[in-house]
Amino acid sequence: MKKIKNHVDDLFKNVPDSEQKEQIKQEIVENLEEKVFDLMAQGKEEEDAINKAIVDFGDIDEIENELGVKLPSPAKKNMSKIDLGFSIWGTVLIIALFVFINFYYTPHIIWFVYPTFAVLWWPLSMFYRWLRLRQK
Amino acid sequence: MIRSDIIRGHLDSIILRLILEKDQYGYEISKQISIRTDNRFQIKEATLYAVFQRLEKKELIESYFGEISHGGKRKYYRITTLGKAYLKETVKEWKETKEIIDLFMEELE
Repeated sequence: MKKIKNHVDDLFKNVPDSEQKEQIKQEIVENLEEKVFDLMAQGKEEEDAINKAIVDFGDIDEIENELGVKLPSPAKKNMSKIDLGFSIWGTVLIIALFVFINFYYTPHIIWFVYPTFAVLWWPLSMFYRWLRLRQK
Repeated sequence: MIRSDIIRGHLDSIILRLILEKDQYGYEISKQISIRTDNRFQIKEATLYAVFQRLEKKELIESYFGEISHGGKRKYYRITTLGKAYLKETVKEWKETKEIIDLFMEELE
């Protein structure tokens, strides 16, 4: 009967350990052993009976699905808030730089407004991205 | 053996029905299915335990430990009130489905 236990252990090797997992394994081993005894009572050799029980068992996929086994997906942290903050600070610095250059070198022509508008797209897009991700 | 993907969608009901008749444990249920269908349909154990998990999560069945068998405690399942209601609903649904499919399948062969 060790073979049944080993087989079930093997089947469940991808399932993360939990109490639930142990319970199901226990239950399955239990029931498979009973099946083996049943098959033996019908005149099968122990070896054959064990093999038949194992073959009949089928694919573990379904149980894995129910137990919620997912391939560890790279947990994407929500970075949108940090992105937004970064973009705002970046924008402020860039605009400050333009304002400084503008008033220091060419105080009679006000041109810093144009690059300011261009740069504003950055925090604006980050803002909407943050807004959208926050709603999820 | 019959294509199991058509039956698959009704496994929940089949198993609920068996548990409704009396509290049963895993192997007993799989044996019942084979016996009643005259071995025309056999449930894979893996499928069976997946269904148990699903039904238990939906609170349609609940489990408890029963008598000692070969070296351990058997886990029995019993149907809940919710399970009974659900089963009743699926029976109705199945009758309707059967009528609809029959409209197109009858009188041919």
